[in-house]
Order: sequence, then C-alpha cells, then structure tokens
Amino acid sequence: MTARLDARPKRFSSENLVSMLGKQAKVLYPPAIALLIFLVIWQALTSLPSATLPSPIQTVEETWELIINPFFDNGGNDKGLFWQVLTSLQRVALGYTLAAIAGIGLGILIGTSTFMFRALDPIFQVLRTVPPLAWLPISLAAFQQANPSAIFVIFITAIWPIIINTAEGVRQIPQDYNNVAKVLRLSRTEYFFKILMPATVPYIFTGLKIGIGLSWLAIVAAEMLIGGVGIGFFIWDAWNSSRISDIIIAIIYVGLVGLLLDWLVSQIARFVVPEEQKQG
Amino acid sequence: MSVFVEVDHVDRIFSMPNGNSYVALRNIELKIRKGEFVTLIGHSGCGKSTLLNIVAGLDQPTHGGVILEGRQVKEPGPDRMVVFQNYSLLPWLSVRENISLAVNRVMNKLPQGERRSIVEHHIDMVGLRHAADKRPGQLSGGMKQRVAIARALAIRPKLLLLDEPFGALDALTRGGLQEQLMKICEESHVTCIMVTHDVDEALLLSDRIVMLTNGPEAHVGQIIDVPFPRPRSRMDVVNHPNYYSLRSEIVYFLNQQKRAKKLKVQHATAIARNGLEKVNLELGFIPLTDCAPMIVAKEKGFFQKHGLEEVTLSREPSWKAIAEGVATKRLDAAAMVAGMPLGMTLGMNGKPPTPVITALTLSRNGNAITLSKRLFDQGVRTLADFKAAIARTPDKVPTLGVVHPSSMHNLMLRYWLAAGGIDPDRDVSLTVIPPAQMVSNLKAGNIDGYCAGEPWNSRAVHEGLGFVIATDLDIWQGHCEKVLGVREDWANQYPQTHLALVKALLEACEYCDDRRNRQEILDLLCQPEYVGSEAVYTRPGFIDSYNRGDGTAPQMDLHYNQFYVNKTNCPDHVEGLWILTQMARWGITSFPRNWIEILERVRRIDVFGQAARELGLQDMGRDRHPIYLFDGTVFNPDDPIQYLKDLPIKRETRIEEISLDELVGARS
Repeated sequence: MTARLDARPKRFSSENLVSMLGKQAKVLYPPAIALLIFLVIWQALTSLPSATLPSPIQTVEETWELIINPFFDNGGNDKGLFWQVLTSLQRVALGYTLAAIAGIGLGILIGTSTFMFRALDPIFQVLRTVPPLAWLPISLAAFQQANPSAIFVIFITAIWPIIINTAEGVRQIPQDYNNVAKVLRLSRTEYFFKILMPATVPYIFTGLKIGIGLSWLAIVAAEMLIGGVGIGFFIWDAWNSSRISDIIIAIIYVGLVGLLLDWLVSQIARFVVPEEQKQG
Repeated sequence: MSVFVEVDHVDRIFSMPNGNSYVALRNIELKIRKGEFVTLIGHSGCGKSTLLNIVAGLDQPTHGGVILEGRQVKEPGPDRMVVFQNYSLLPWLSVRENISLAVNRVMNKLPQGERRSIVEHHIDMVGLRHAADKRPGQLSGGMKQRVAIARALAIRPKLLLLDEPFGALDALTRGGLQEQLMKICEESHVTCIMVTHDVDEALLLSDRIVMLTNGPEAHVGQIIDVPFPRPRSRMDVVNHPNYYSLRSEIVYFLNQQKRAKKLKVQHATAIARNGLEKVNLELGFIPLTDCAPMIVAKEKGFFQKHGLEEVTLSREPSWKAIAEGVATKRLDAAAMVAGMPLGMTLGMNGKPPTPVITALTLSRNGNAITLSKRLFDQGVRTLADFKAAIARTPDKVPTLGVVHPSSMHNLMLRYWLAAGGIDPDRDVSLTVIPPAQMVSNLKAGNIDGYCAGEPWNSRAVHEGLGFVIATDLDIWQGHCEKVLGVREDWANQYPQTHLALVKALLEACEYCDDRRNRQEILDLLCQPEYVGSEAVYTRPGFIDSYNRGDGTAPQMDLHYNQFYVNKTNCPDHVEGLWILTQMARWGITSFPRNWIEILERVRRIDVFGQAARELGLQDMGRDRHPIYLFDGTVFNPDDPIQYLKDLPIKRETRIEEISLDELVGARS
C-alpha cells in the first residue's frame, strides 16, 4: 500500500468558509433580489393616496406584536399565531393520517384486484373532482360538530390522490417481479412486504405529497367557515375586524407552513423509499 | 433414460382485441430426458418464450399440456425456476438478500444455518463474494445475470428455464458466462431448457437444439442432436468435425424460415401451361460433378423443350437439407442420393415416414474413398493395411466422413470396411459431413478420411492432403448413385409434370455421356452458381484419367461418371433391394417384409418406362440379375432375408411388415 504524503484531513479554514459562502451566495442572491423588488413595488403601489391595502412597512409595524410573540395565549380565540397554526396542524394531522391509512389500503385493494378496480374506480373518479368545501355542509349535517367536520373535509380531500397513486403503483409493478413471486410461490405476506410495498412506495409518496398540499389548502377554507381556533378562522376574524395587516402576516405563515409540510413529506420519502426506486 | 419433461401437443391461441385469434404455437411436442440441455431457437416472435413460459407454468396452453415427472404443470413453482432475460432481480434487495429470499422461501424446511450456507455457497459459485452486499443497481449486466443464475440454482430446481439469458450482454461477458453456466450445469446435473437466437451459443451448450418455425402456428421444424462430448470447451466444440455442418444446418434452417416468410404469398401457386400441371419447379441439387444432368437440362434447354419453362435450380448445403426441402414441399424435386427415397419412405433414424418416389437414376459410380496423408505415410495402401493400422493404435479410433446415412457413400463405405473385418461403428467412427466440407475437415485433422463424390476426392489428392484407397469401381462397378426424388403425393398431383421432368433429365443424361460434350459440361460445372470448383481437380475421372494420389499412374476409366450408357437410368428393383438390406443391416431402417410392395411403390419403373417409350428410346430396362460385389459375395435378390442373416458384421436388424398408408395416415 502506498500513502500520499499530502493527504491530510481537510481543516476548516477561513478560506474554505469564504469559498463556501461564495457558492451559497450564487443560490441566495436571486431570490433575495426578487423579494426586494417585490417589496419595493408593493411599497410603491400602497404609497398611492387611493391605496386600500397596507404597505409592507405599515404591515410590519401593525403586526409587530404578533410577529415577535407568537406564543401568547389570552384565552378564547385570542392566541398567538403559533397556537393558531398548531391547532390547524392538529386537525390536518388527524385527517391526513386517516386519509393516508384508508387511501393506501384502498389503493392496494383496487390495484391488486381487477374486479375491485372496475367496481370502485368510476366512483372515485367522480368523487375526486368534488371541491373540498362542497363536503363541509354534508359533514356538518352528519357530525353535528365543527371539529370532526373539519377533519372529515381534510380526510376526504387528501384521500383521492393517495388512492389513485397507490393503485397506479400496484398496477405498475413490473411483470417480472410478479413472475419471480409466482415461480417462488411467495406467501401473501412475503409478497406484500418483499415486492408489493417496495415497488409501490414511490407512487404512494407521490400521492402523499399531493395529499398534504391539498389538506393544507382545505383546512384554511374549512376553518373560515367553522370558526374557533385555527389559522383559517384567524384570517376570517381579522377580515371581520378590518385588521388587514394581520391577514397578510397570516397568509405568509400559511405559505411557510405549507412549504414546511411538503418538505417534511419529501424528507420522509427520502428516508423510506428504497435507493433504487427513486424517480427522477 | 426415461422422459423427464414432456411437452404434449401444446397449442397456444391468443384472443386478439379485435375478436380474432392468433395461433402462436401449434402442436408442439417435445420429450426431454433428465439432465439434458435443450435449446429452443427460432426467429423473433416465433413463440419460443411463450413455450418457455408454458413450461414454467406462467402461461397456460390452450390445448395439450406439459408433464414434469408424470405430473401436469398447472402453475408456476420453484421446481421450474426461470432465469429471465432481464434478470428480474428485486432492486431494493442486495445480492445476498435476493438469493436468500428464494432460498428461505423454497427451502423453509431446512434449518436457518444450512440455508445461509447454501446462499453463501452460491454467491461464491458465481464469484460475487465482493458484491454480496451490493444492490442490483450497482452491478453490471453480467453480474446481475450471475446473481439471477445463482438465485435459480440455489433452490435446486428440477428444471432450469433460461429465457435468452445472455441476450443483453456484450460478447466477452457472454462467453465467460456461457462457460460458467455449462460448468455449473454439468456439476449439478440440472435439466435445462434455454431460449436463444444465437446459433453458436446453442451449439456450445446444448445436447439438442429444437428449431421452431415462424409464427403464426409455430411448430417444431427440426431437432438437431449435438454430439459433442462433455465436458466441453469452446475450442473443442469449434474444432469438432461436425461443428460447421451443424452450424450451417441451423443457419440454413433459420434462413429458410426467413425466406419462407417472404415466399408465403407466392408459394403453392402452380403455373399450368403446355399441357402440364406445373411448369414452375424448384429443383434441389448438391454441388458435385454428378449433378451434371440437372445443370445440363437447365442450361441446354431440355427442361424448356419438355414444357418446363420456369425451372429454378436451388443449390443446397447438405443432403439433409435436400430431404428436408422435399419433405416440406419447398422443393418440387431434387437429385437425391440413391437410398434417400427408400429411407424417407420408411422413415429412417426415427423420422416420420414421407413417401418419396424415384422414376429415374441420374448417375452411376463417381465416388471414392479418400484417406489422409498421415495414414498413407503409415504405409496404408489397402483395406488390410488400414485394418492393421487401426489395430496398431487401439486408443485412437479413426473418424471417417460420409455425406448422408442413406447415401451409397455410407452404405458402400460400411460394406467395404465390414468386408475387410472392420466394424464401421466400433473400429472406426463415422460422421455425417456435407460433401463440400470434407476436404477442409480432412485438412483440419478432424477426420481421417471420407467417402464422397467428385470433385472432392480429386481435390484432396490435388492438394496433397490424402489419397484414394478405393473407388466404387473397385467395390461395385456400376452401382446406382444419384436419383431423381419427388414426393409421392406430388407425383400423383402433377403426373404429366413428373413425366416431363423425367424425360427432360433422361435426355440430359444422354447428353452428358457423349464425351464430346464433356468439356462444355465441365465449364458449366465450374461456374460459381453450380459446383464452383476449379477445373484442374474437376477433370480427373470426368474427362481425364483418374489420379489416386498413391503414386500409381493415373488410369483412364470411361465409366467413372456414368450418366446414360449401360442402361444407367432405370430405377431397377434389385439395387433398391440391396439398399434396403444394407440400411437394415446398419439399423438405419427396418427391413420391410413386404419389400416387393415397397420397391414397386418407391422405384417407379412404370413412369420411367413411359418416359423412355415417349422419347423413342428402346431397351432401357435392366435385367433382374444377382449383384456381384468385390468381396466375392453374391447378392441374390430372391432371398434378401437369408442374405441379411448371413452378413457377418451387422447391427440388430428388425424385419417387419411396413404398411405405408397406415404410417402416413397415423401422422396426418
């Protein structure tokens, strides 16, 4: 064996840091500049005498309290943004988890059985086009309570992409793998864990990713209607109290949380999906 | 050995979306012995993989079934493990996990430790120790296929099914893997069925090669036995005397199939004209000096004269191809070796009987036995010397080439050897090689001699590779050599055409025996589309005196190639009977107790007589007299069975009543 004399471990030097920052800068500059331009235009437009919306500076000034202290809790609906978002997230978590369990199960069912596929697919195709809020009145009628109704709306919104993608994944399992399973006479359990799940997992996660986005879309709308604590009702409440700046800050929160959720599911997918099965 | 796998009359019919059905496989029948390596070969889309999937149980036949060790295959199972074309490894499992999945499932009765050692053993067997924990995505194609083979072998299948296993690999990897597979199969005695379209791969690995015809309605066109001894190495196989003839036979079959696809539309349209039922004929010949009558009939306008206006001569690679071509109706007629019509009619070597008749003998004599220069240097000059030379080297059995089992070359070489006390199956080894390949095989040292027609003996003499120890003039002066063969049903369907063909060729034969025409005929023969040989070694015997290459002075013999004189052309029965006794003697066919009926039916003196009369030729018939051979025995045509019994060296002979119509009826 030969060893290279100059092969020393790289030290963390200031030179390295500078070059690293330089690289990061290339990625960070464009969005920062775009954001700046956006804020300038916003500021310019809202500086006009006929402006109805607050300028960015005005927004920050008016909502400073909300921004610096998201954790206050004055009882009732008067809570910091953190608590508002958390309540919404709890609803989403419950509805979405139920949708994931039911959706993956139903997806595998219609994916493996041609009969079930023929029976159920047309129904699913019709139901998935129904807008989330259209379910709200019927779920209020059924549950008689606001909270379960909101969770149901999340559930029914998120489940369709999960079902459809899972089913597609099962149907797309290469015939070769099925042939291997047949020749080896794998048991149902072995087939499920060794072949069906690994082969379908990328499709399932595609469905889950679409599902989480849709649930977050639906929760804001649903909460506006059902009231109580939650980021959706917070927005509606702010509108009723003409606190336009609060609405703006809440929208930014909603956007960031949505992004975070999407990122979270992607991270789980990265962890769960087998190396060889990653798409794109 | 008994039948291990039986594919029993399998049909596979797919229903098409438009309501039609597509018959992919029709009446496939195949019996495979235990430990045998069988290859399915054919063009793309011929249903090879469908057949393999049916054996695997992944697909179900529409009719018929597959029987493995007496039990019908109804579903896939690990006793019939498949190595798929695209490996079919599970990409999320490592090499070890892929193999373990199979082993744990199939051998779940074994203790865990034992299963683990099986997995590790097979990882080592295919040399993938270093990659055992890698996933398929990190492996090359060849490595993946090795994993697939290890996975298949690890579960000890009774039958290993390989679907173009090396199709996607580069040549170098393929070669290495083929040898590895061969070694593994030999060590573990697995029965294998492999699908491929690589002819060399098939020859290297298989015991038998099953050639499928094109779909739709693909069926077994031909089965070739690959006689190479095991264990094999690539070089041994390539240098085996039969390698090129087998290879060319397979390539020929595949090319025929390709052509058949194109010809399907034009085929079977008989053009009737000039009072004949069919004037467009395809005639097969083998490049030899004595194919002269056919070439003369074509070039000198004898076919034309008798109304056969569209005759095509098809140069065939081997006598087997001639037999195949006539049997499959690809050829209307062919110049055949003398025993072929009788052999095909009786069904030689287990082939189904195809009634073929002959109404014309095209030539007599023209053969010789050539032995290698090496034997000459050992002092071999006579048959007795040859026997002594064989006795001197008991560890080395000389190999001699013949052109076809039913040819006079085979029958007379055997007779000659047996007369000298040499058993043609035990003291020497006889192998079938097409005439044109004899010289190259002799040169390569694959064979020690051969019996063939000209110009192939003179060529060996000319090139100093061998010497002629005997010509057929020394063995049986004036024996029949080439005959015109047509299927019996063809002759019945086109009787006037058949008659015209016999007449045209009879006149051509007469032309050939006029020695003033010989130079002209020689020029025709030497053309590349016919024999394509060089005049210098085509002349001896045909025009010039014959040089045996043994130091003796060349001798002039006017009867060396005899086409017309001395009543050459009548397909007489006594000769036919002698051929029947010899084919029975060596176990090529049974001896028919009803030989008179068989000879009447195959050797059509009536058609010949009519042709001769219509040409105004008189006194063409041959007398019924005993045959005197060189060893002093007399063949008495009145008691062939006694003659057969008295022969000293022979194989087990069967004598039975052969009812042709029953045989043929049972087939259709």
